[in-house]
Amino acid sequence: MDRVLELGGHAAGFCGRLFAQSGYDVVRIESGDSAPAWASQTAIDLYLHAGKRRVRTDDAGLIAELAGRADVVVAEADTADAVTALDFDTWTTPVKVAITPFGLTGPKRNWRATPHVLLAMGGYTNLMGDSDRAPLSLPGHYVEFQSGTFAFTAANACRLAEERNTVDVGMLEVVMALSQFTTVMWHCGGVVRSRHGSDFWSVVPSNLFRCADGWVYTNIVPSFWDPFTVFLDRPELAVDERFENNEKRMLNRTALHSVIDDVLASRSKAEIDQRAIECRIPLGVVQSFEDVLADPHLSERGVWQELVHGETTVRSPPPAWRIHDETRPALRLSEPEAPRKQEPSAHG
Amino acid sequence: MADGPLRGVRILDLTHVWAGPLATRVLADLGAIVVKVEGPMGRGPREFRGGLPIGGWLGGEPPAEPWNVNAVFVKLQRNKQSLAIDLKTDEGRDAFLELVAVADVVMENFSARAMPALGLDYARLAAANPRIIYVSMPGFGNSGPYRDRVAFGPSVEPMSGLTTVMGYGPGEPRNTAMALMDPITGVSATAAVVNALRRRERTGKGAHVEMSLHEGGVAFSGPWLIDVQLPGYAGDIAPLGNRHPVMAPHGVYRCAGDDAWVAIACRDDADWRALCAVIVGLDPRAGLAERRQDHDRIDATIGAWTASKTKSEAAEILQKARVPAGPVNITPDMTEDPQVEARGFFVPLEAGPTPIPGNPIKMAGISSDDWRRCPRLGADNRAVLRAWLGYDDDRIEALENAGVVVDKPPA
Repeated sequence: MDRVLELGGHAAGFCGRLFAQSGYDVVRIESGDSAPAWASQTAIDLYLHAGKRRVRTDDAGLIAELAGRADVVVAEADTADAVTALDFDTWTTPVKVAITPFGLTGPKRNWRATPHVLLAMGGYTNLMGDSDRAPLSLPGHYVEFQSGTFAFTAANACRLAEERNTVDVGMLEVVMALSQFTTVMWHCGGVVRSRHGSDFWSVVPSNLFRCADGWVYTNIVPSFWDPFTVFLDRPELAVDERFENNEKRMLNRTALHSVIDDVLASRSKAEIDQRAIECRIPLGVVQSFEDVLADPHLSERGVWQELVHGETTVRSPPPAWRIHDETRPALRLSEPEAPRKQEPSAHG
Repeated sequence: MADGPLRGVRILDLTHVWAGPLATRVLADLGAIVVKVEGPMGRGPREFRGGLPIGGWLGGEPPAEPWNVNAVFVKLQRNKQSLAIDLKTDEGRDAFLELVAVADVVMENFSARAMPALGLDYARLAAANPRIIYVSMPGFGNSGPYRDRVAFGPSVEPMSGLTTVMGYGPGEPRNTAMALMDPITGVSATAAVVNALRRRERTGKGAHVEMSLHEGGVAFSGPWLIDVQLPGYAGDIAPLGNRHPVMAPHGVYRCAGDDAWVAIACRDDADWRALCAVIVGLDPRAGLAERRQDHDRIDATIGAWTASKTKSEAAEILQKARVPAGPVNITPDMTEDPQVEARGFFVPLEAGPTPIPGNPIKMAGISSDDWRRCPRLGADNRAVLRAWLGYDDDRIEALENAGVVVDKPPA
């Protein structure tokens, strides 16, 4: 199995996590301050770094030596120049991956960015939030985790082909690559996609609705319209001219939302959820993180993996895929350690 | 045909909508031989009835072959070959299983019932090829009480916990309305495929890989899911609008122009001091705790400064001072950004000057110069059946005459 060296923030951390979860030997270099996170440091460390060996050092010579012993190195840095400053170009690792906000080339290669900035520049932020208010950024680590996943795919593809290569993952391009129809809507339809609160807009009804004890989201593409009227106990809507097709439902969106609001306001999340299952319509209840942890479907599917740190054991979601004849062992978060003097080379 | 490190890897792609086709597009960009196995109606009917599709038509006008130029579909299919074959027929299914026997990967994102209903579950595929890697991506997975629930990205998103933290504040949750579970699961599927290929290289074993939109979204909520279990959790996770738990200021600020905004984030004291050097009225001595406490006033000061500048001007000035900042871009801004232009990210590959997002993986040996556009329905029927299975013209013609293999939707 490959030896993987990881340096940097949450994108590199996520890439290293995928390697560690896949059984590879991952060494993480810890130096300087941790990148800002949406959860506590302990939660981030458990989620990203359980199952890795963590080495605390900022000795460039030692890092180069460790890189030379690795099969894959994944380095994340704030700018292209910061990658160069690591002596990345001189490392002899067969597969080297650099993750930076804007990539290693181009006029903005040394611009500073956080995921918040990249979501804005990549076209996401303009699409989120209410039309008459400031656009909303996306909480969490979507940008870093997607970038780390691309890095994992690229590095493994190179190893599969047994080719030496240097991979340049620009996080702005990661965001821009992951639009469903934002760009073609403009170039082919002449329409600038815009934000409409929680409303998917082009499919009606697709929105967040308040119920007696929370919120639910329903996403009624045309083929689900008739069962949706049954779900609402308002079968007459199926023959209501105002709502007879998606185009008309778009025109009469406010009236339809009002009907749905009236029906759902007095029903509980549990009632609505059960009814949605019976009527086979796409609907999801807004779940707190505690709700997600208690979700019977996830539990029955054995999703959760145990992570251990000291006396604390938590349940965590593993990578998004499962291989049917494999199990996910519990993983331990180790403390950062001093580098070892002699380590065997993986590739001679 | 694209070249890249996955050259020679054969993928049978039965995916549809977004998550699956996104995954196979990335793999095709990396050099995999991806054959899109499409049903005769896989791209819709021969006659288009209704208005403009959500992303428009390639070429702009309602075309002669609408099924081949729906922009949202086309943008996900580059570098693939098209085999249009009816898997509901015995002949089509037999041919498909012959393809499986010489393929490396099969990917699908139908409902959990669909492949078994076709007689094409993992056991059947593995019998045809024990080394096959079968990636199944139903919305809620192949087991469990939600197995048969209907799943679309926007309705699965709240079940990941994300909606608990997305919004303008407590009591004002928002859905992204961007179907984020799809790109999460799609990109994860690329990782799953290369991981399974390397596992097969080590063990000689094929694999049944399972993914779901639901678990894809839950995976990305991991840090929060752990946080709520830790001793001392204060129960304070809630929507923060555009603010951040440990960065301040952190926001989106109105600029000159119609619905024009700039995003600004100070990661640490150094970023804050750099911001203070640009914008008068901010105290460079303020630490994170003070900045968080004083966020409203800081936002007002920043907003007064940005209001007189275009979003690009504001971002340029702040970047010169080394402050993380960027304009809130709309589509024309994105494709005209000098950074992505310099890196050739958008690819004018399809009919007319239609920039399609490229692949964010850049490395030697991968170039969009050898990429090819989305194939027409059934464009590669003969080539695939000949090259993969050695079928002769008579055999292919028989399949065509029986309507098992087609190059246009049925009339």
